[in-house]
Amino acid sequence: MKNDTLVSFEGVVKRFGDFVAVKRMDFEIGKGEFLAIMGSSGCGKTTTLRMLAGLEAPSEGVIRLSGKPINDLPTWSRDTPMVWQSLALFPFLNVVENVEFALKMRAVGKAERRRRAEQWLDRMQISEFAGRNISQLSGGQRQRVALARSLVVEPEILLLDEPLSALDAALKVRMQSVLKNLQRETGITFVYVTHSQSEAFSMADRVVIMSRGQIEQIGTPQEIYRTPRTRFVADFLGSSNVFTGTVTASDGGGVMLDTPAGPLRLTSGERLAAAPGRSATLTVLDTRTNLALTAPGGPVNAIPVRMIGEEFIGATATIYLETGTGQEIRVQKSHEELAGIPLEIGQELFAWWAHADGHLVTEE
Amino acid sequence: MRRPLTLYGLTFSLPLLIWQLLFFVFPLVFLVALSFWTVKNFRMQPDFDTVNWVTIYGRSVFWQAYGTTLAMAAFASALVSILAFPCAYAIAFKLSDNARRWAVFLMVIPFFTSYLVRVYSWQIFLSDAGIINVMLGWIGLGPYGLLNTVGATMIGYLTLTFPLVVLLQLFSLVFIDRTLIEAAHNLRCGRLRTVFEVIVPSARVGLVIAALFAFILCFGDFVSPIYLGGGDPTTLSILITDTTKSGQQWPRAAVIALTMIGTLLVVAFAAVRFAYKGRTK
Repeated sequence: MKNDTLVSFEGVVKRFGDFVAVKRMDFEIGKGEFLAIMGSSGCGKTTTLRMLAGLEAPSEGVIRLSGKPINDLPTWSRDTPMVWQSLALFPFLNVVENVEFALKMRAVGKAERRRRAEQWLDRMQISEFAGRNISQLSGGQRQRVALARSLVVEPEILLLDEPLSALDAALKVRMQSVLKNLQRETGITFVYVTHSQSEAFSMADRVVIMSRGQIEQIGTPQEIYRTPRTRFVADFLGSSNVFTGTVTASDGGGVMLDTPAGPLRLTSGERLAAAPGRSATLTVLDTRTNLALTAPGGPVNAIPVRMIGEEFIGATATIYLETGTGQEIRVQKSHEELAGIPLEIGQELFAWWAHADGHLVTEE
Repeated sequence: MRRPLTLYGLTFSLPLLIWQLLFFVFPLVFLVALSFWTVKNFRMQPDFDTVNWVTIYGRSVFWQAYGTTLAMAAFASALVSILAFPCAYAIAFKLSDNARRWAVFLMVIPFFTSYLVRVYSWQIFLSDAGIINVMLGWIGLGPYGLLNTVGATMIGYLTLTFPLVVLLQLFSLVFIDRTLIEAAHNLRCGRLRTVFEVIVPSARVGLVIAALFAFILCFGDFVSPIYLGGGDPTTLSILITDTTKSGQQWPRAAVIALTMIGTLLVVAFAAVRFAYKGRTK
């Protein structure tokens, strides 16, 4: 899927006066890829997208599009159409005129641009609204107009800045599949900025997680979910239990950590370079954390815990527990997996996971 | 939603209502009545005679003045709109917030001085021995007859309307959603083209209203055509004074005034319709 690179950021920095919005970005976007840039507000994700669109100029570094540096290219000379959070549809034009706009700017003939605009309206299933004013459309219909307006020129890349944030939950899920299918069918590279984990992880081929102007991790949704690389990512995703402690032993067989919750061991084959005496953080997915009445034997870590709460969402339950030192631990399991375990507030249990399920993350 | 009248509500609205009745509706009704009165031996007497309407509408001098006034006011409002737009645009889009407040303040300053005084000071500039001709004389040019021309009247009209039109345009420009401009740029619309494709359509209501105000002010203005234009060509405002002075023809003047009011109503109505064309709630 990512045979060649379409966009590359090389040491890109963006400052607004004294404020550094983007510290240093080095990454590539493949042709035909659906890339999500994710992070909390103010992390620099929108600034990154705006630099790619040509709406902000980088303070340092080079941005390349198809190999050519585009730093000095104004936005109207790049083919990097963007879908705004507010959609930015022109209220003084009707639906079909909005879609035709970019073609008109490219001096496409009247009949031809009407034909191409109508094709896209048809594709977005909004043909019947062609003559309507923007103010007469629903949120989902406007979304489709905005997509058609940007895609009518059949660009190589489409930039999306939290386009779904104004929609209600059900419509959001529907538009997600519309977007994903559209991207798959057209093969256009999508760069999608969002703060929503569910949007990023359900649509993207790769996810970039940003924090305070820097990239924390790039990878497929699965990679990031299973092995968060930094403490920030683990906390941000909120799907792992996190333990910080001191390395007491590190050898070919694994790493021993001394944490407030007790000594923990991990044996997964990656990043075992932790030297004894250094501080390190271990993460384990809440779905990989198990519960038992007695501490199981074998190559596992087991921590005595006390149950403090539970939450049911559909077929899965999230059990909240507390260690002796007051650290919260979450366990996410199906109801079947929890059968036979007494789930009452205050119940003493053991939280355990296999040595191989733990991961070391980089400390900040 | 209709609400019943209350004493409390009336306390605040009644004075204004009485004022409007006394000084607007009543004089207007009187003006209509007056236009049917007759004048005999320099004395007006109540009557119901269409003679004034027939006389005025039958005179070519009236239609000439009407055409001149309409054309000059239309030209002035177009000219001032075009000249004011770059100014309003620069204030709205190129200045910092602080500089913009100063610019608005500077646009208000002309209103500190009476319009009549400002027109008189233009005379000092434009007269044959005025500042401009003296300065042209230094480089061996002139003197040119600048005063008592249509051009001088236009300068007066601009003096009257320019700051107001800039302010009205400015207030519609600052409320344009900036992302619309970015979106246009992003869709390959260059800077200048964006002005015509996005900014002007977005600000259309404000721009039309500003031009309408300029038209209304110029159409009824008496000061510039008489003190800078020298009364030639005759505008309707000048024709009204001439008519009242010659033989106490107040009823005929009323006909001219009512025609002007009617014209302004039609123009205002058409302008507002044009401004909101294609917009639905």
